[in-house]
Order: sequence, then structure tokens, then C-alpha cells
Amino acid sequence: MRLSRRRLAVYCVAFLFAIVMNFAVPRLMPGSPVDSMIAQLGPRATPAAIEAIKARFGAIEQPIWRQFVDYVVGLAHFDLGVSVKYYPQTVVEVLGRSAGWTAFLVVTAIAFSLSIGVLLGAIAAWRRGGRFDSFVSPFSVVLIAVPPVIIALATLFTFGVTLRLLPVGYAYDPSLDPGLNFTFFGSVFLHAIMPVLTLSPYLIGEFQTTMRSSMISVLGEDYVTMGRAKGLSEAAVMFGYAARNAMLPVLTNLALMLGAVFGGSIVTEIVFNYPGLGLTLYTASVARDYPVIQGQLLLMTIATLGANLLVDIIYGVVDPRIREGRA
Amino acid sequence: MTAVEEMRLLGNAPEAGRKRVTAARWRLGPVAAALMMVGAAEARAEAVLTMHIEEQTSWVQNFNPFDLGGRRQSTMDFVYEPLVIFNDYDSGKPVWRLATGYKFADDLKSITYTLRDGVKWSDGKPLTSADMKFTLEMMLKNPAVDTVGVGETVASVEAPSPTEVKINLKGVDTHFPESLADFPVVPEHIWKDVKDPLAFKNETPVGSGPMTEIRRFTPQVYEQCRNPNYWDAASLKVDCLKLPQISGNDQMLALLPEGAIDWFGSFLPQIDKTYVGLDAEHNGYWQPPAETVAFQMNFKSSNPGNAEAFNDMTFRRAFSLAMDRTAMVDIAGFGYPVVNTLASGLPPRFDSWRNKAAEGAQDEWLAYDIDKANKLLDDAGYKKDGDGFRTTPSGKPIAFPIIVPNGWTDWIDAVQIATEGLRKIGVNASVATPEYEQWQKQILDGSFEAVMNSRADGPTPFRGYFQSLSTGFGGRITSAPSRYSNPELDKVFDEYRRAATDEERKTLFDQVQVIVADNLPVVPVFNGPTWYQFSTKRFTGWVTKDEPVMNPEDHDNNRMRLVHLLRLKPVQ
Repeated sequence: MRLSRRRLAVYCVAFLFAIVMNFAVPRLMPGSPVDSMIAQLGPRATPAAIEAIKARFGAIEQPIWRQFVDYVVGLAHFDLGVSVKYYPQTVVEVLGRSAGWTAFLVVTAIAFSLSIGVLLGAIAAWRRGGRFDSFVSPFSVVLIAVPPVIIALATLFTFGVTLRLLPVGYAYDPSLDPGLNFTFFGSVFLHAIMPVLTLSPYLIGEFQTTMRSSMISVLGEDYVTMGRAKGLSEAAVMFGYAARNAMLPVLTNLALMLGAVFGGSIVTEIVFNYPGLGLTLYTASVARDYPVIQGQLLLMTIATLGANLLVDIIYGVVDPRIREGRA
Repeated sequence: MTAVEEMRLLGNAPEAGRKRVTAARWRLGPVAAALMMVGAAEARAEAVLTMHIEEQTSWVQNFNPFDLGGRRQSTMDFVYEPLVIFNDYDSGKPVWRLATGYKFADDLKSITYTLRDGVKWSDGKPLTSADMKFTLEMMLKNPAVDTVGVGETVASVEAPSPTEVKINLKGVDTHFPESLADFPVVPEHIWKDVKDPLAFKNETPVGSGPMTEIRRFTPQVYEQCRNPNYWDAASLKVDCLKLPQISGNDQMLALLPEGAIDWFGSFLPQIDKTYVGLDAEHNGYWQPPAETVAFQMNFKSSNPGNAEAFNDMTFRRAFSLAMDRTAMVDIAGFGYPVVNTLASGLPPRFDSWRNKAAEGAQDEWLAYDIDKANKLLDDAGYKKDGDGFRTTPSGKPIAFPIIVPNGWTDWIDAVQIATEGLRKIGVNASVATPEYEQWQKQILDGSFEAVMNSRADGPTPFRGYFQSLSTGFGGRITSAPSRYSNPELDKVFDEYRRAATDEERKTLFDQVQVIVADNLPVVPVFNGPTWYQFSTKRFTGWVTKDEPVMNPEDHDNNRMRLVHLLRLKPVQ
């Protein structure tokens, strides 16, 4: 399961590139954290107060190279700085309280969509050209094309506002205290339904499409024919022989899609007021909170790179042929 | 907070806890219920008032009154009681709170406040003149926490007795008490050990107001409860404030059907349907007109053509005639604002200050009359050049964007309507929507051309006029973008600040209105609404349009919200 040196080098370069981009991108946006800080003071801020605030956040107005050095040195110490918007909280504190919720949403949505998408894709391929296939497969393409914001607003309006079946915001009922009890987990589950359902259609569509095409090519393989010839049940051949082998491209696709899932979670979290990274990133961007934006982007980069690395490793486990060293 | 910012605020949220408690009690059956009643006071259900004051994506425990941007907006009034509140719905009459009076010295160079006897901090220690002296001196020493601008007015502070504070002023300024309206007195015994008073989060505040005890604080909701040592406890019938986190208007609209919010101030489109219609028996609102929104031109514009036009009163009058104010109110403002028809721009809430001598002929410039505006410009020599747009009489081109913060959709629509009118009279105006921070920066550094803006009114109309139109304030705060300079007006402002009696002030403000109406330095268009919605399901005593005794908003810009809170009684 050892990765090749070349592969690791690719990850390192990607990581360094991400570090530089994280630094540069927020600074390309118009406005500065100091402006936004002063803006918060409102129309009554006196010039003396504005000067004092500027002096206090002077670090932000240092020359670019100096900021970059501070930033890299801070990174080395896992110190991401202090939030401007939530001053005097640190970036680690701000991100810490939201990262868990986003991870929960994204992982749940992926697990949920993966099971449904793969199943639908496998069945569609098995009976390709049938009535099931000719409905489900084009529908998947539609699912891929619909932006999460539309799904989010439609679900919110239907289930939250009109039918009032599901809560319209928060990760759990705010009157509860987090704890290891059924009420709390029940509340978390209830509050996650709509956000997960919003994130899922795109994923289901992607997984279904990938699975279907991969499955079709696998179905032509000799071992599938042999399975059938042995007189195994349909289900055994479909899942035991074909689907297992057809999963590989789906996993690759999953790694590639992570970025899109995070993107979708931003919109979803804003619409459902879900206290995750997406909502934090949005607030931080509006407030020009560079330290939080940087920390956030870095976290997302690490998550995406990490997931890719994980898929690389899983690949080796699932498919012995491409295990390093035997190629 | 400007009227605009308030427009961005929205409504309130959840429920559960309370409802569940009540339900559980009913299920206990008569015996248990009777047992509970024996406990008398303890058994009485807590009166929890659910409010929505500010839009945030997560609550941060910060009750530092000097951190204007970071403090929870329930910090002022509810944790830190004001000295005195001037009720702008009652001719600016004082409502005495921590102070029981103040008196200027004969030479008007100093003012002595008398503090209420026997007031205690929430931790039981006495609140004395030493605390107020300490707070003022901390502000003088550290301009970053000078939230009210005492650095510009106060020379020194003395505490001649435990209930008296003598403030020596840098110059004569009878307007000074108004400037202390947003001044919080903090306890010296806590704050003297605070090294950096701006960075201090003050998570468990010791305060003087009615709601000082932070009982529960999570990123999604916090509860702020009764001060055990509140001096005015007899008036206080609410036990706790509950503030659920709500991040935007859409979310507010989605939460309203739950009916869990008692007091809020949100922009709700079609409010009769989206709010009142949900529960007509209990849900109500009152949105009286607030600050005047006006177009303000940069008299110091670096563009010579624009500067020439803006400085010409004829151009400003034509500008005003091109404003379709009714369309702005009906189309852009959902009918909530009120058209301003006074050239002086006086907000309706200051009706008692109105000077009829400033009205009449000048107000005709506030009609919507494209033909008249065109004729005015034609006669004044603003000729149209090849592209159909007018140039100044000296032949310089006029072209300017009107800036309005991105996302303030109702205001953007209003500016759009304004530019359509201006284009009809041959003026090349456009809409620009920078981010709020950029918008503010352009106003402060003077790089903008024209802006739609409101000013920050005080308890009397004076502050709004003084800050937005005096030479001294030009460009120093966002409510003074135009950099207008009129020596005659400055002189009246100056006299006003030296005036010793209300009659004198009234006479001088009459002059202000005449000068402003005659010169039309800004183009008033409408008065935005005050944002106030309430539910009588759990509490009564709300201020309504039938009893318009105070500004009813619960936002941080309205000190009277404290008095409003003290009016409320739980439904039995």
C-alpha cells in the first residue's frame, strides 16, 4: 500500500500551491478587513476611534511579503491567526466549532448517495434498455444539472415552510444541550434530513451515471458470463461479480467530486442556517475576514487532498492489480 | 445604525423549550399540578421573551459595550442601563435612568450629573460616581473604546460626591448630554483589571440593567435573565430574554409560522400576509417613518463637470424634480416608506419642531416634474451635446454613478428609479453597487460622486442636521458625505450648541430649516420605516400606533427599547 515517491511529490506540490493561493485569493477581493471593521462601527464612529481601530489591526496593513512570512510561520505552528469578524476568537476556534457539522453533512450525504446511486446504476445496467433504465438514467442527468440552491429552496419551502414537517434551520433544536442521549441525536437527525437531501441529488446522479457505464463494460467480461454459466442467482452475479468490480471508477469519481460537494454544502448551509464551514466561509467572505477565509480554504484543500490520498490507498486495497510495486 | 442597515435586519425564531415545559405540566395531572402551585413563586412559569435583534450566523459570547462591531446587541440597555434616555417621540424629553438630573454650570463650561441613589451592580456592589468617572477616563485614555466621542468634548472629569459627576468640557456645548445617549457606565471594580478593554469579551457581565445574567449561551441561542439587584425591579415583569440565532430574511420568513418570536424588527415583504395573516389575533406591527433618506452629492468632487453641477442650486433643484418619490416608495420600498415632501427634509417624527416658514415655495422642488426640470436646466445653460446628455453651462461633461451598497435591493431599486428620472432630464447618471465596506470607504475618502444615504438622527432633529451639514463633520462620518459648507448654517449650528434654553434652541432650529430648505444641499426622497413587529400571544403592553409614545424598535440604535421592555407583562 506504499505510495510511489512521484505520487507523494504531486500531493506536496498541490499542497504548496494551495498555501500560496489561500494567501493570494482573499487579498484579490476588493476591500480590507480594516474597512469592514470600521464599517461595523456604523455612521457614528468618530475619526479618533477609526484611527485607534486601524492602529490596533495594523498588522493587516503591513507589506504583502511581511504578511506572507507571518502567515507561513503561523502555519508551521498551527496558528491560523485571529478572526476579524469574531474578534477576539482565533481562527482555530471559529473553524473548530463548524468543521464537525460540515464533515457530518458531507459524509452522511456521500454515504447515502453512494448506496442509492450505486444500486440504481447497477440495476439500470443490468436491465439496460428496460423501462427502469430508460427512466432512471436520463433522470440522473437531470439531477446532476440542477444546482443545489434550487433544490435547497424548493425543499425548504415545501417541507419546512408549507408542510412544516421538518425544522427550517440549525443543526439541532437550540433549546437542547448537546449530550449522549436519544433526544439530542434524534434532533440532529431531524435537522440533517433536508440539508442531506439537498446535497444528495447531484451525488446520486453522478454515482448512478458512473456506475451504470462502468457496470455495462464489466458485464461483458468473461467472469460474469462464467458466473451466469455456473447457474448463480441473478443477485449473486450482479452484486458479487459485476458490481464489485464496477465500483472502482465510482470511487475515483468520488474523489474528484469532493470539491463540488463542499461547494454544494456552502449553499445548503446558508439556506438551512446550518452551522458548518460553508456558512462560516460565507460570513467571513462578506466581512473580509482574511484569517478565517485562509484557514477555511486551507482546511478544505487538506480535506480534498486527504480524500484523494485516501482513495489512492483504498484503490490499492480494492484492486490488487494497481497496488504499487506490482505495476 | 442607519435606516438602511435596519432594512437588512430580519426576524426572529424558535420555541420548543417553553412549549414543552407547559405541556409536561398539564400531563402531570391535577395532584401534581396542585403540588406545584404550593411552591408559589417558584412554580410560576418564567416569563421568557423571545427577541430577534441582529442577524448573525453564530453567536459569540461578547458583552463588551465598547466593541461596537462584536458586542451582542442586547448589551446596551439590557446589561448596561443608560444615564438618561431622550424620547424622540415625546419632543426629546428625558427619561431618567441611572442619572436623576444634570445641570450646566453658569458659564456652560461644565456639566454635573446627579446619579440615582442606591443603585447596585448586578453583583451587589454599589454603583457610584467613581464608576462613571472611571468609564469616562478610560475612554479619554483609550480612543479605541471612545464609542461616543468624548475625546472631542471632554477635558476632565471629577467626582465631588458618590452621586455627583462633574464633567469639564473643552468648549461650550449644550448639546453634550445628547452625545452621552449611547454611553455605558461600567463597574470600576471589574474593568480596572482589564488590560485591553477593546479585546475583553466580558462573557459574564456585571451590569446595571434589567437583564444581566447570562444563563445559557450556545452558538444558536442565548438567554439573558433578570438582574437580581436591579434598581427598577418593580417595573420589570419579564424574567428572561431569549435570543435565537437567525442569519437572514429568508430564514426569518421560514420561522415565522412557528409563532415563537415575541418582539422583532425585520423586513417582511407583504407583512399583512406573511406575518399578520399567520395569527391575526396576536400578530401585529407598527412601522412609523424614521430617518430621512436623501440623495447627497459630493460638493468636493474631483470631476470638474460634476462638481460644477452639484454646487449649482439650479442643478440640485432639477435633480430633485426628477425624483419619482412615489415610485420609490411603492415599487422599491413595498409601500413601507413615506414620501418626504419637505425641502428641509425634516423627518415626520420631529413634527413638533416643524417650522412653517421653511415650507411653501421651496417644497415645490420636491414634486416629480420632468418638464419643469428640463426647462430649468435649459434656461440655466445646461446644453445637450451629441450623445443627448447635458453639459455644465461652462461646457464640461456631467456623468456620475450613484453608489448604493451591494445587496440592499430596495435601495438599489430606488436609485434605479432615480437614475431613470435623471436620464429623462438629460443627466448621465448610473447606479453603482460596491460592497458596503467599499461604499463606506468611498464616502469617507471622498472618491464618490453621489450617494443615497440616511443620516443618524438623535433624540432631537439637531444631531442629524449638524452632523450631515456642518463644515466640521464633512467626510468624517458616513452620514456626512456631501462635504457641504455654508458659513451661515455653521453659525446657527454654533449658536445652537451654546443655547441655554429650549426656546432658544427651537428658534435656532427654525433657522436651520429655512436655510436648508432654501439651499437644498441634499435631495430628500423618503423616510424609511421603523422595523417593529410583535406578538401578543405571550406578552402584552406593546407600543402600537394607537399609543405612539416611543420608538418601538428593539434594535441597538433605540435606547427607548429599555422602557418598552419595562412596559411588557406576561399573559396570565
